[in-house]
Amino acid sequence: MNEKISESIVRVDAHTKIGGQTKYVGDMKFDGMLYAKTVRSLHPRAKILSIDIPDIPDGYFIVDKNDVPGKNRVKILIYDQPFFAEGAVNYIGEPILLVVGPDRDIISQIISQIDIEYEPLPAVLTIEDALLENSPRIYGQDNCFVSHEYIKGEPDDAFANADKIIDGEYRTGYQEQLYIEPQGVIGIYENHRMTIYGSMQCPYYAHRAIAEGLGWSEDKVRVIQTTTGGAFGGKEEYPSLLSGQVAFASLKTKKPVKLVFDRDEDIQTTTKRHPSVIHHRTALDSNGTIIAADIDIKFDAGAYAGLSDVVLQRGMFCASGVYNIPNLRVRGRAVATNTVPNGAFRGFGAPQAFFAMDMQIEKIARIIGINSLDFRLKHALKKGDRTCTDGLLRHDVKIPEMMSRIEELSDIRDKIKKFKSQTGRIRKGIGLSMFYHGCGFTGNGEEIIHGTATLRKYPDSKVEILTSNVEMGQGALTAMRKIVAKSLEIPIEDVIYENPDTSRVPDSGPTVASRTTVIVGGLLKSAADELKQRWNEPGEIEVSKTYHHPKYIEWNQETMHGDAYPTYSWGINVVEVEVDTLTYEITPKKVWAIFDVGVPIDERMMRGQIEGGIVQGLGYGSIEVMENIGGKIQQGTITDYTIPTAKDVPEIVSEMLDNPYEYGPFGAKCSGELTLIGAAPALAAAVENALEIEINKIPVRPEELLEKMEL
Amino acid sequence: MVNSYRPKYLNEALKIRGEKNVIPLAGGTDLMVRFRNISGAIPKFDKPVLFIGHLDELKNIEIENNFVKIGSSTTLTSLLDSENIPSILKSAISNMAAPTIRNIGTIGGNICNASPAGDTLPPLYILDAKIVLSSIDNQRIIPIDKFIIGPGRNDLKDDELLTKILIPNKKFNKEFYKKLGTRKAMALSKISFAGLAEIEDDKIEDIRIAFGAVAPKIVRSRTIEQEIIGHNINEINELSYSIVKEYSEFICPIDDQRSSSIYRKQISIKLLDYFLNNLDNI
Repeated sequence: MNEKISESIVRVDAHTKIGGQTKYVGDMKFDGMLYAKTVRSLHPRAKILSIDIPDIPDGYFIVDKNDVPGKNRVKILIYDQPFFAEGAVNYIGEPILLVVGPDRDIISQIISQIDIEYEPLPAVLTIEDALLENSPRIYGQDNCFVSHEYIKGEPDDAFANADKIIDGEYRTGYQEQLYIEPQGVIGIYENHRMTIYGSMQCPYYAHRAIAEGLGWSEDKVRVIQTTTGGAFGGKEEYPSLLSGQVAFASLKTKKPVKLVFDRDEDIQTTTKRHPSVIHHRTALDSNGTIIAADIDIKFDAGAYAGLSDVVLQRGMFCASGVYNIPNLRVRGRAVATNTVPNGAFRGFGAPQAFFAMDMQIEKIARIIGINSLDFRLKHALKKGDRTCTDGLLRHDVKIPEMMSRIEELSDIRDKIKKFKSQTGRIRKGIGLSMFYHGCGFTGNGEEIIHGTATLRKYPDSKVEILTSNVEMGQGALTAMRKIVAKSLEIPIEDVIYENPDTSRVPDSGPTVASRTTVIVGGLLKSAADELKQRWNEPGEIEVSKTYHHPKYIEWNQETMHGDAYPTYSWGINVVEVEVDTLTYEITPKKVWAIFDVGVPIDERMMRGQIEGGIVQGLGYGSIEVMENIGGKIQQGTITDYTIPTAKDVPEIVSEMLDNPYEYGPFGAKCSGELTLIGAAPALAAAVENALEIEINKIPVRPEELLEKMEL
Repeated sequence: MVNSYRPKYLNEALKIRGEKNVIPLAGGTDLMVRFRNISGAIPKFDKPVLFIGHLDELKNIEIENNFVKIGSSTTLTSLLDSENIPSILKSAISNMAAPTIRNIGTIGGNICNASPAGDTLPPLYILDAKIVLSSIDNQRIIPIDKFIIGPGRNDLKDDELLTKILIPNKKFNKEFYKKLGTRKAMALSKISFAGLAEIEDDKIEDIRIAFGAVAPKIVRSRTIEQEIIGHNINEINELSYSIVKEYSEFICPIDDQRSSSIYRKQISIKLLDYFLNNLDNI
C-alpha cells in the first residue's frame, strides 16, 4: 500500500453483507436455546399492586426482579434504572418481567394471560410540566437529573452595555435511530460463567453491567459483540440493560436465552435523541457585533438518567456554534419526565444546540438587516480564538476557505437574493449551516477511561488488532486495518480484526463519540510504528498503547473551563429546497457539503458517512416526526415513524478539505457524527428563505407551515 | 392451530369459501401486518386463511363491452404495466408503497381493506367502478361506494369473494391526482385528491371529485358534481366559494399520528379549489 491512505478500497465486510452471508444475533442458535419476551408497563407512572401469572407449562419461566442476584440497577452513569421494575413503573414500556421458553407462540399466549394491576400515580410528561413548581417530584428536588452552568468572560457587564438584545426560543423533537437490525442479545450460563453475545457498540459497558447485576467478579463474564446491523448510538448504553436481563434468565433456566426485539417494541421502548427547548438571548453592540450570549438548554431525559448528563454537556459545549462570542453564560438541565429514557444518538446533544444557534444567527441577521453569510463569517472562530469554554483553538480553522468553496459550488449568495419575494405555487429556498464536532469524549472522558489498544504479531507475520471497538456499519473493520497495514507496510489481508470478545481484547473504550478512528486508530498507529521497529524479533510480539491526551490539554470539569476536546472537525452544509404552497410539502432539491475531517482514512467510506449523515439530518429536520402524548409514543411503528427513503434523497455534492491533525492517525480527525449535524438547520434556513418566515422548531412540518402562512 | 387453503382454481376457492369460515388473502400486504405476532411466532390469524393471490382466473385485465375488467388478484405492478388502466388510477398506484410491495399487493386487497386512506379508492370512486362479488352459485355487481360501508368494513358476504372490478371505459380530458404522505414513498396518505373532468369548448361536460383519508369513507358527492356540470370554466371562480362550502360539510378529518384535522381539511379545500380554478391548464 504505497498510495495515499485516503484512496478507497473495498470494505472488508462489503461482500458478505451485501451477499446476505453475514450472521447477526437473530441468526444465531445454540443447543437448547430458549426465547425471551418482555412484559412492559402500560402506565407512565404507577405502583404495581399485583402481578397475576397464569399456570405456565413445564419448560417456561418468568424472570423478574427476584431473579437478579446482584444489584438490580443498570450500571450507566448513576444507578437509577432497574433491570426489572421493582413495585413501580416510571414510563410506558418499562420492562417488568420476561417470559422465557422454547416456543414463541406459547410465550405469546402466556403473555396475553398475565394480568398486572396498577395504581396510577400523577405523571410528569413534558419539560414544561417537570419544571412547574407544583408538579409531582419524580427525581430529586427539581426534577432535573443534572444542572450545569459555565461562564466565559463577563456576560452580565456585556448585557448591561448592549445596544440591542435579541431573544429566540428553539425546539427540537425526538429522533429514533432506526438501525436496520433491532436490539438483540443471547445469554449463555455455563460452568459458573456467563457469556453474552449481542449487537452492541460497547462490549465493556455491557460486561461491567452484567457483572454488577449478577454480583460476580468481572472475570467470570465474557461479552462477544455480534455483527451489528447499525447502531447510531442506540446500541451504546441500551444493550447493557438487555445483557443483564438475558444473563439473569440464563442463570435461572440454565439454558441459552435469546432476546431479540420486534421493530415496534424497539421504536417504542428504546432510547432516542433528546427533545430539547433552547432559549437564546444575544447581546449586540452598536456595530452589530455579538458581544454576549445567554443560552439556556433543556433536554428531556425521560424517566432515567442514562447518559443524559454527558449528552447535555456536549450540547452545552456546542451552544454558541462556530462563532466567537467573548462573553457567555450557558445553562443546561437534563429534565426527568415519565417518558421513555433518551440516550445516545449520532451527534449526542450537538444537533439540538447547532440548530438553535444557527436559527438564532439567521434571526439576528434578519433583524439587523445584514446578509447572514457575512454575519456568520464575521463571527466565525479561527485559530488562536477561545472556544465557548475558554479552550484554545490550536489548529487551523479553515472556515473562510470552506465558505468560499461552498459559495462557489452552490451559488448561495445570489440564490438567497433571487429566492426572496417569490410568487407562484412552488417557492425555492436555500439555507446554510456551519458546525463542528469535538473529537473523542467530552471533557476529561478520555483521561478517565485511558483506552488501550493492542497489536499482536504472530510468527506467520499476520498481525491481529485487539481492541474493544466494533464495526457497526461505519467501517471500523476496514479503517483500522488500513491504518495498521499502511503503517507496517504489509498487505491488508495480513491484518486480522475479529469482532471484539472481552476475554481477548483490552478495554479501548466504547465505540462512540467519533473516537474510534482518531483516538483508538491513533493508538494502533503508534503501536504499529513500534511493532515495525521490532518486526524481526523472534516469536509472537505484542505491543499495547494507552491513550493520554496531548500535553497541551487543560480542562477543569468543575468549572467547565478549558479544552473540552483535543481538536475539532468542521463542516458547512447548504440545502436547497422547494416548498409547494398548495400543500406546504418540502422537497430538498440539492445539498452541498464541505467537511474538514483532517485526512479521511478512506474517501469512499467518508462519502458514505457524509451522505448517510446528511440524509439522517434531513429526516431529523423534516419528516421524522415523533410525538409523545400522555407518555405514549404516537409514531410507534415503522409505518408511522418515517425516515427518508431513496425517493426522499436529493443530489448531494460533497468535498473534503485536507487539514491533517498531528495526533490523529495519518492526520485523521473525527467524522462519524459531524455529518449529521448541519442538514436540519440548513434545511430550516432554506424554508425560511423560501417562505420568508421564521422557523424555530424541527421537524419542519407542512402542518405547521400551513398554520404560519395561512391560519 | 390455523389451517390454510391454497386451491388450484377459482371454483374450488369459492367452494371452500362457501363451506368454511375463512379469511381470503391475496397479496397479504395488509393482513400480514394486521395479524402480526411477536417475532418468530406465526401470525395470529383468527380464522383459516384462503389463499387466492395465485389464481390465474383472478389476474386478467380485459376490455369487454366498454368496461375494463380487472381480476381482483391483479397486482398493483401489473396494473401499472397495463395499457388499459385509466391513467388517474395509475397515478394513484405509482404513489403507493414501493415497487416490492406493489409487486405483491393487489387491487382487490386494497378495496376489501376498505381503509379511508386506501389509495386506489378515490380514483375507483370517480371512475364509477363496480365490484363483482361471486359465490359458488351466485354473483352480484354493486358500485364501489355501496361495497365499502365504513372504515375497514365492506359488504363482502361470508361465502363471497371479490372477483372482478369493472371500470367503464370512458375518457376524460382533464385529470388531477395528488397524494400527500409523510414522505415520497412507503407512506400512508394524509390526504389524497382525485379529480376528473371533460371540458369541451370551455364547457364542463362532466366532472368528478373524490377525497381520501379525510372522512370515514371516501368523499364523493354526485349532487355537487351535477351542480358544476354545464357551467363554463370561466364561471368557476365565482362558483367555487359555494362549491367549497358544500364539500366542507363532507370533509371531517381526524387528528392522528400522521397529520392534523386542520391541515387535512384546509389542504383538501385548497386542492379542490386548485383543481376547479385550473381546469383550463391542468
